[in-house]
Order: sequence, then structure tokens, then C-alpha cells
Amino acid sequence: MAKDRLNEVLERYEAVIGLEIHTELTSLNSKMFCGCPVEFGGEPNTRVCPVCLGMPGALPVPNQAAVEATVLAGLALECEIARFSQFHRKNYFYPDMPKNYQISQYDLPFCAHGHLDVEVGEGDAAYVTRIGITRIHLEEDTGKMIHVGGSEGRIAGADHSLVDFNRAGTPLIELVTEPDIRTPEEARRFAQTLRTIFLALGISDCSMEEGSMRVDANVSIRPRGAVELGTKAEVKNMNSFKALHDALAYEIVRQADLVDAGGRVVQETRHWDAAAKRTSALRSKEEAHDYRYFPEPDMVPFEFTEEWIAAIRERLPELPAARRDRYVQTFGLPKHDARLIAEDVPLAQFFEQAVDAAGAKLAKPVANWVLGELSAHLNATGAAVGSCGITPEMLAELVVLVDEGTISGKQAKEVFAEMAESGDMPAAIVERRGMRQVSDTGAIEAVVVKVLAEHPAEVESYRSGKSGLIGWFVGQVMREMRGQANPAVVNEVLKQHLDQ
Amino acid sequence: MAISESDVRHVALLARLALTDEQVRHLTVELSSILDHVSEIQSLDLAGVEPTAHPFPMRNVTRPDVVRPGLSRERALLNAPEAEDGAFVIPRIVGAEEEA
Amino acid sequence: MAEPRRIVDMTGAQIADAIARKELSAREAAEAALAEIEALEPRVHAFNQVTPELALQAAERIDAMVASGESLPPLAGVPVAIKDNMNLIGTRTTCSSRILENYESVYTCTAVERLLAAGAVPVGKCNMDEFAFGSSTENSAFGPTRNPWDLERVPGGSSGGSAAAVAARMAAVSLGSDTGGSIRQPGALTGTVAVKPTYGRVSRYGLVAFASSLDQIGPFARTVEDAAAVLQAIAGKDPMDATSVDEPVPDYRAGLEAGVEGLRVGLVTDMLEMEGCAGEVRAAVENAARVLADLGAEVGEVELPMSRHGLSAYYVIGPAEASSNLARFDGIRYGHRVKDAEDVLDLYMRSRAEGFGPETIRRVMLGTYALSAGYYEAYYGQAQKTRTLIIREFADAFERFDVLLTPTSPTVAFGIGEKASDPLAMYLSDVYTIPLNLAGLPGISVPVALCSESGLPIGAQIAARHFDEATMFRAAAALERALGLDMTPPLVAERQR
Repeated sequence: MAKDRLNEVLERYEAVIGLEIHTELTSLNSKMFCGCPVEFGGEPNTRVCPVCLGMPGALPVPNQAAVEATVLAGLALECEIARFSQFHRKNYFYPDMPKNYQISQYDLPFCAHGHLDVEVGEGDAAYVTRIGITRIHLEEDTGKMIHVGGSEGRIAGADHSLVDFNRAGTPLIELVTEPDIRTPEEARRFAQTLRTIFLALGISDCSMEEGSMRVDANVSIRPRGAVELGTKAEVKNMNSFKALHDALAYEIVRQADLVDAGGRVVQETRHWDAAAKRTSALRSKEEAHDYRYFPEPDMVPFEFTEEWIAAIRERLPELPAARRDRYVQTFGLPKHDARLIAEDVPLAQFFEQAVDAAGAKLAKPVANWVLGELSAHLNATGAAVGSCGITPEMLAELVVLVDEGTISGKQAKEVFAEMAESGDMPAAIVERRGMRQVSDTGAIEAVVVKVLAEHPAEVESYRSGKSGLIGWFVGQVMREMRGQANPAVVNEVLKQHLDQ
Repeated sequence: MAISESDVRHVALLARLALTDEQVRHLTVELSSILDHVSEIQSLDLAGVEPTAHPFPMRNVTRPDVVRPGLSRERALLNAPEAEDGAFVIPRIVGAEEEA
Repeated sequence: MAEPRRIVDMTGAQIADAIARKELSAREAAEAALAEIEALEPRVHAFNQVTPELALQAAERIDAMVASGESLPPLAGVPVAIKDNMNLIGTRTTCSSRILENYESVYTCTAVERLLAAGAVPVGKCNMDEFAFGSSTENSAFGPTRNPWDLERVPGGSSGGSAAAVAARMAAVSLGSDTGGSIRQPGALTGTVAVKPTYGRVSRYGLVAFASSLDQIGPFARTVEDAAAVLQAIAGKDPMDATSVDEPVPDYRAGLEAGVEGLRVGLVTDMLEMEGCAGEVRAAVENAARVLADLGAEVGEVELPMSRHGLSAYYVIGPAEASSNLARFDGIRYGHRVKDAEDVLDLYMRSRAEGFGPETIRRVMLGTYALSAGYYEAYYGQAQKTRTLIIREFADAFERFDVLLTPTSPTVAFGIGEKASDPLAMYLSDVYTIPLNLAGLPGISVPVALCSESGLPIGAQIAARHFDEATMFRAAAALERALGLDMTPPLVAERQR
């Protein structure tokens, strides 16, 4: 898909995109309506009980923490929280659904009418777009099926399937946006931003690869300037942010080509094939859906008081956007760096602890180390921030050593590598390796005098205008001092002697 | 309240019941007669009356987020008509959406 | 009550008492019940499964407690029969349906667990209308249960097996479930004491659901005292049932002797005058009102015109919830499954059609229709609003009265096959019991007469306020004492000879 092609289409047509995002509340201990553990994977049917298997006579009891997590998500996204709400049954038969109804929410979701401001693009082209959030409701996830005898584990062509209910009953929140999204990039940024918020709330690990965050999209196009909406297609199976972007780009161009050729878009569900880089229609169902929603009689309704909602609101952590703005305002970090740190909760915590230890005036170099050496180290080792062997205190001490001129920046990188390896504090490493940088003006001055005396020709050239030679002189002094001189001091002393 | 044979067939599909033609004929008559009887409530003036889903007005009943022991796999599969590798076996799925 | 001739004629309280006094062992009580089942079961067919091993194990535990001098639980050694829609590990739970014919319970129902913890001895699982759909126990996939008062008649339903087991002395007490009258109506037809508690009083966890917002588990017994003792054992909040209510459980037996002096009793006159109410039934209930008045109760008259619409609301709400509750019977995780299914849809359609009997299919179809697109408001929505008005009407009545008195069922036990072909006629036999389920109120059926013509029992229903089972029991006990009826069915009299 050529990017130009999408841009060309978007000049003539406006895309109208709404997202439906399912997120498993993976940080909870137990399932939505029973005490089975919430974990990923495991041997089939080993985390099940009469409730999540839909055995005769078993009854659901809602998980308080799941209700609170949903309301927390709603508050983070500026939603109105329902004062009265309840679960409904959504009735349809499917083998991964043990009761053949899903306990979900219908006309009374916990959260509605929210929004999320999404920053799209970089630099001069950057803009902010507000995406409305229609609703956020709580429901239960289905089991999983393994399709045997077909190609690549797909349903089509499979001989039979195996059903595992370990995932069945995992708490799931469904977020539905207004059709406010206009480009694939906006959709991607929305999903990414939402992920950073859910991570900050600590309600889910939001893994698109493992399916704990699943994004479906409704897409239609209309000629620029038109008011009436086009027929939409639903696109599913986008297992990464890139897939979300690419699938939408493909779908928009596909619909435009169809309309350009005089055809019509059909309302249908389409499956994104990441390998083939295209969407294809799923075989349509034999019957129209009739979910026969009715209030779940096994549970009683919810009534939330102002006090209760206020107590949940108290638990809202600082969200990534606010945190980023604080880093820019308080620490003077560049916006881009501030965002990279703020969106990663563990990294942000590390950063703030290191800044606490090093002092706020060193926040910028701390940020540079966090985004530079530390991130590279994490990438290389695959370790998490909390368990990578480097503590905020270690990094803070390293930054202070550089700032005080005890070691050079180059030396600091060596120290970083060694502390990552050994777990020793940087000061101890500097001491042990005799790396202490010489800042004593007297000692440096002696060497400077010696070097200038040994190179009269270069001194002559410098004084006749080749001021660029200063660097060469610094190099000579540093070599004499085996690299342990403070380059700033060397520079200063050299200039005093050369410019006199 | 008349209900037609085609209504009955549609409802039977929703309810996943393979009915014989004879069953469809009988049910059309029986359901019509029952619906005819129960339709009398449609003549009640219920404007402004709140629906009752629960006979007792309780609110906010939840459980704490605590793990409890579940079923052993053996017991989970005890009644399975067909099981394989610890999973329930189903025949192929035709004409349905793939899972998201 | 006459001095019992045999162990099986003893009430639960008498058995527990005799065991505590070491005059009887739990094993003897269990063996006597099992022997009575063996003798009568071929004629009555009250059971889907008899559980001698479970019974003798439980009895041995009680006897060991007696031997070691431990303090005994309240129902120690009392033989109990359990309706076959309650899970009990070590038994099948079939709901009298082909679809669950071989279903082994994988956990135990809370109410059953509590009853067994109270010392009761489980003798078997009782026959019922399939999934509790019916009022005669004829809708069982395993054949009808017969009324011990007349083997050619039905015992009522859906808990007909539990009712017949107690009436025929095959168990001292039993558990049934009541969604629209399924405990009280068979109680009336078999001359037993039958209780539907307040909705939420007893946990539904482990009871295979018919209509979740109406179902309650309750006891059958031959005395009000035994019924009160069983409810005492099973009542109370269960964390596994979100609709069970966290209300204290009073000592139900404490007030049984207190009498009805000053109790305000409302005789529901429009129900008595309803077409279809047999003259002797009406007369028996009016007589019960007079007896209560003689005992010092203030008897007044009340009308409940909205309750007349209860049947219609019930036949929308019940099937609607049932259609969803029964969706899980799909032949995948358990239950009947066709062997040669082409695909999953075919598997669902044929397994369910083969596994469900005609009345189950009828109700599932009715409920699915009532919830389907375009009909929800006209049926389900309207029924839920009717329900609101019925609740209000009862609330008004309970402003003036402490208990309400009605017939339990419009007629005495009818003949097997008599109403089988007319679903609506069958549905009418629950016309007096259904309103209490819709309102979530407690109700008890107590025998108040034997029909002069047929000799069959007639029951009256006493309803009370939410969670006021104590008052209901007190009124029922007063009536029981004052009437002093001998409720020995001919079949039992024959065994006693």
C-alpha cells in the first residue's frame, strides 16, 4: 500500500472511523464472576470452575475490583459514571461461550460520554484531535478454540476444534468510540494513547499480541463535504498497532476504489490478513443477530453514590499527558523526551526516583541517560526496568559524578557498563579503577605548559588564526594525562595560555 | 396474537432446536393459544410503571477479588461427550464468524 | 398427632430426638427409609436415583457422633429426599431430562450442603417435571410420579417426587424448588406441608435454574415444625449467590406455639371467587379462616385484582429467563449429544431437540419469542411492569394484614393424563401460587381438609411479608393444631397394617 495512494484518496474522501476496543483486566487476581485465577496460557481447562464452565446450577457473582477498574477507566477518560447500572445477558450460541449467553452490559453501561485528546504527528505537522468515547462497559471474555485439521489454525477448512475455557470469564472492558477518527494514523495514535492510560491505571497489560487488548474498527468513507455517512465495514483481527494502521489504510482505499468504479460498499465484517496485507470478507452468518438482551436475573443492579465515585477518583494516578507536561514545565525536558518517559510507567517511576536522588537540576542529563544507555541496556537484555540490575540511585550517582567533573562523559559510559554488569555503585567503580578525573588547575597547567613548549609551530599557527587547533591541543593534554583530566578545565587553561 | 409457522421456524433457529414439521405445526397452535392468553397484559395501563427485574430491591452485590479453588481438569471434563488433550471437542464450525 | 407405628411414620423432629436419646440409631432410620422406598417406589416412582451408599455413610457419621458423645446437629439422622435439580456430588443431577440423563454432579448445591451439614441423611434424588416445567410431574423423561393418595392421580408438580416421597413416608422431609408454585401446589395435592421461602432467603447456588428471578428452594414435611427446621438449616446468605439476602435468620421453631391471637389475617376473596376454584376448596379455605378467627385472629377480607394478571406475567417472565438459562445445554461440555453432527450448528439443533421433552421445547420457544426483536416490550417489558403492580398490591395488603390466606391450588389432585394435552389448563393450577413468586414473598401450603367426595387433600396457602416466614409458620402451626387432620394416605395406611 503506497502511502501516496492513501493520501490521494483522503483528498477526495473523508474516512469515518470508530473503534471498539476490548481490554482484559489482566491485573486482577480472579475472573469476572468466579474465583478462578486470571492468567495467560496454561494447560487447557485447568483454571475453570462450575461458574466459568457454565455447569448447571452455577451462579455468577461480580468481582468488585473489576467494577472499580472499569469506573477508574471511565474517570480517566472523562466519562460520566452511571448512578444506576446493571448487567444484561446477550444471548447467542457459540462454542467458546459456556452459557451460550455473555454477561455484558446493554443500555446502562457503567461509563458513557467521555473523550480522549490524541496528539497526532510530529513537529510542525502535529495536531490534537478529540475523540469521543461513547461508552465503556464491563463483560466477560470467552474461551479459546484451537482449530484442528485446517490451514494455519483457521476455522475455515478445519476438521474439528478443541475448546479451552481457561480464558472464559476473564474480566473484559469494552470501549466504543464515537466515529470521530479520520485517518489510520489517528486510529493508531488513539489506541496507543489509550494503552498508555490503561497501563498507567494498572488495570491491564494491554498486549495486542497476546490478545489482552483487541481493537476492531468500523470504517466508512464519504466524499469530502458530504454529510451523509457511507456504509461501514467492520474490520477485525488487527493484532498490532501497525496492523491497525495498515488494515484501515487498506480498507479506506478499497472502499474508495469500489466507489470510484461505480460500486457500493457492503455492510459486512472483514478480516485483516497481516501476511497478505489485505482485508477479506468473512462468510456472513446464516441469520441476523438477535441477541435478546434482558437484565441479568442472577445479579442485582448497581447504584453508585457521589461519595463512592469520588473515592475511586482519588485513586486516579497522574496520567501520561499530565506527567509529560510536568516534565516539560518542571524539568525543562524536550517534549518528545518527556512523552517517551511519561508514557512508560516503570520508566517514569525510575526517572523520578533518579531525579529525586540526583536533584531536579540534573533532570535533563538523567532523562538522557534513561532514554539513552538505560533503554539500550533494557532492549539488549530484555530485562524490565525494575529487575535490570540498575537502580535509580546508581544512575543518579553516575550523573552526579559527571556533573561534578569527577569523571568524563566517556568514562561514565564505561562505568555504566560495569555497574550493569557488577551491580556496584558507580563511585566505587570509579575509585577501584582510578578513574577519578583531574580537575586540579595546577596539575593541568603544568602539563599545558609542557605541551605548548613541545609544539611551538602549532602554537604559532593557532595564534595566527587557526583557532580550530584548540581541540588538537586538548587531545595532546588529555593523552599526557591518560584521559583523566577534566576536558572543560583543560580547555579553559589552554585558552588562558594560548590567548595571552 | 397470531404466530405463523415461519415465526416458529425462526424462533426455533434462535433457540437452536431442530423441529420436525409436525412439531412446528403443533407449536404454532399451542404458542398462539398461550400468547393469546398472556397478551391480556398488553391491555393494562402500565404507562409510567417501572419494570421489576428483581422481586427484592438489592444493590451492589459483589465478591472480593480473591482466587478460590476451582475444578480439577478431570472433574471439568467428567461429563464431556468428547474430549481430547484436556479440551472439549466440537465438530467444525460452518457459517459463523471467526473469533476476533 | 397419633403415636407413630413405624420408624418411617416418625416426623423429622421425632427421629432426631430419638437418635439423641439413643432410642434409635441413624442407621436404623436410614435403613427403614430405604426399605420403604424399596417397597413403594415401584408404585409411586418418586425417585430418579436412590442413594443407599450416601445415606448409610451419612448415618454412620451421625451414629459415630452419638457414640462419642458429640453434640448433634439439629436434623441428625433425618432421612431427606432431594429434588433432582439440585447438585450433589456422588449423584446424577438429571432434572428428569434426557439431556442430563447421565450428568454426574461435579459440585454440591449450597442448600443441600447445609442440610447435610445439619445432619440430614440423603436417601435419593426425586423425580420432577423436566427442568421444573409443569404442575403434575408428568413431564418427566423418566415417567410420571404417582400420588400416594390415589395412584391414578398426579402428585402435582414440578416437585411431585419430593412431595410424594414425604407423603408416602419414604423420607421424613425433602427439598423442592418453587418457581410458580412447584413446592406449594404438590404440597397441597399430596397433603404435605410445603414452603416457598422469601426470594433470596435460600441460596440458589447449585439449583439448576428455571427462572432465576423466581426460583427458590424450600422444604416439604409432614409437620410445620419439620418444615421450619429444614428452612432453618438451609436459609441464609451465600456468597456464591448474588441474589441471596444477608438478613438474619430467626429461630423459626421458637414461635410455633405462640398462637394467632391478634394476628391480622386477610382472606383473599377474589381468588376464592375465581372461576375454576372447586367448591370444596373454597369451603375448606373459608373454614380455615373461621378456625383462625376462633383462635383469636382478626380475619378480614381483601382483594388482589392485579394478581389475576400474574399468570400471564409469569408465562412471559418464566419462559424468557428459562430460554436463556437452558441455552447452556448444548451437548458440548456435558449432556446429550448426537453422534453424527455435521457441524456445530447441527450438533446444537439436534442434540437439544432430542434431549428436551415437549414442554421444555414449548417453554424455550415461548421465552425465545418473548425476548426476540420487536416483541420484547410487548411481552417481557409489559410483564415486568405488571410484576411491579403486583408487588405494590401485596405491599398495600400487608399494610392491613400480617398474613394472607388463599387456596394453594384451585382443585384437588387431577388424574394422570387429564390435563396433559392442554398446556393452558395445566398452567391454571398455579394461579394462586404464582403471584407470590412474582412478588418474592414467602408462602406455605398446609393441609386444611380432605375432599368429602374423593378423600383427597386440600391445601391452603398462607403468605407473609418478605422475610417474615416466622409469622407464616406461626399461623400454619396454629391451623395444623386446631384442625388436627390425619394426613395418612391410603397407600401408607395399607403399609401400616
